[in-house]
Amino acid sequence: MKLEVCGVGKDYLIPVIDTVSFSVEAGEFVCLLGPNGCGKTTLLRIIGGIEPASRGRVTLAGRPVVVDERHDRKVGVVFQEDRLLPWLTLRDNVGLVLTPLGLGPAARRAVAERYLRLVGLAGFEDYYPGRVSGGMRQRAAIARALAIEPDLLLMDEPFGALDAQNRRIMQHEVRRIWRETGRTIVFVTHAIEEAVAIGTTLIMLSARPSRVRAAIRNADRTERGALTDDLNTMIMEEVARQQESPPS
Amino acid sequence: MRIWVARLHLPTLAVAAVLVAVWSALSWRYGAYVLPPPLSVLRGLVEVVVSGDIWRHAGASLGRIVVGFGGAVVVAVLLGLLVFLSRVAGGVVRDVLTVLNSTSVFVWIVISIIWFGLSNWAPIFTTFMITLPVVASNIVEGVASVDRRLLEMGDVYRLSGRRKFAAIVVPSTLPYLVAGMKVGFGLALKVSVVAEIFGVTSGIGYVMNYSREVLATQMVFVWALVMIAVMTLTDTLLFDSLSRRLMRWR
Repeated sequence: MKLEVCGVGKDYLIPVIDTVSFSVEAGEFVCLLGPNGCGKTTLLRIIGGIEPASRGRVTLAGRPVVVDERHDRKVGVVFQEDRLLPWLTLRDNVGLVLTPLGLGPAARRAVAERYLRLVGLAGFEDYYPGRVSGGMRQRAAIARALAIEPDLLLMDEPFGALDAQNRRIMQHEVRRIWRETGRTIVFVTHAIEEAVAIGTTLIMLSARPSRVRAAIRNADRTERGALTDDLNTMIMEEVARQQESPPS
Repeated sequence: MRIWVARLHLPTLAVAAVLVAVWSALSWRYGAYVLPPPLSVLRGLVEVVVSGDIWRHAGASLGRIVVGFGGAVVVAVLLGLLVFLSRVAGGVVRDVLTVLNSTSVFVWIVISIIWFGLSNWAPIFTTFMITLPVVASNIVEGVASVDRRLLEMGDVYRLSGRRKFAAIVVPSTLPYLVAGMKVGFGLALKVSVVAEIFGVTSGIGYVMNYSREVLATQMVFVWALVMIAVMTLTDTLLFDSLSRRLMRWR
């Protein structure tokens, strides 16, 4: 489903996001990049309707995204932390978010098991989150986000807490899941190699207050080395700029 | 071998043996009215078990506790719900609990005698008023400590308010409830026994005071032991197994 971000900005005590506009076609895998503290997470939360923008608007399939407990969007979110309920098994954690979709207990169970299998957790359905590794918990969180068959899947540095090896494996998995399910994904990361490895479109934000510094197609995924170098240069420039002008 | 030593608390038993020896010596020195010898206490204990007095009085005390403390738990849970639903109500509840927490047992005993006279309701009411702030403070703290990030996850996935309450708030608060109940029950036993000194004709507190009046000091010791036994048993049998069952996922 098409996502449009039109002139979105956010102020806390200082302006964090100046104005950001871009659009995402259905089935795209967008990576949001930028220096630390440039408002990537905030932007993702605005897109997800978790917090309101100070200005501008976000539309999903033409309908404005507003912050409201009774919203009817199907947006899956994978947070930096897994945010699983420790007192529910992995299966019940996934099954829980299926209740608003009106599925019966048997159907919830079947769907939960299907998506746990998809993320490679077959055989661990009855485990409690505290009994599995951090990587497996994050996989379960991804299964939960996918299980509602979201129109939009938002991922906020989901592998930040993982070690390098697990990170590599999970990037590969997410890329595979994206190919198999065809979901529209917006993925926040500060790791350039990660973005270049998995995104079809890369959006680089500038230092705070942020704007879009560059939007790059990465569909054919050739010349990765050069692209990574370019992006690294950009991010170093932005970091330098941020240090020159501390928030007043 | 080592496990058995730990199970039996052998060092504790050794200390207990020394204390009993000292107790015997002191009893011999000061006389049975001040400090009855261990053997007469043991004999008294056998006597109350055989005669069935132990069940009558411990049962009466426990019955009052179940009503008074049970009522406190029910009201505390309702207060927890109120705190979850309304921020304003939460502030009021917290302030009221602070006041109740700093009210002496004796205040409630005197007031309950004025209000309820010499009846069962006096110790019940006292137990209720003393345990309510303890259990409720725990629940309120539990509700306040519910992870906001989990509730936000619930909002993202469109869980209804009722389901968020059942799936997120209640399980987060349960450990606090059990901890509060554990402390509250111990307090209930101690408090209701004191309240039983006034105006009722059964219960551990009553029979202890009665024993003192008829100069049967060894029976005061016997009932003190019964009280300790009731406390220890409920703690291990009821609350430990309850918290283990609730916290299976840990």
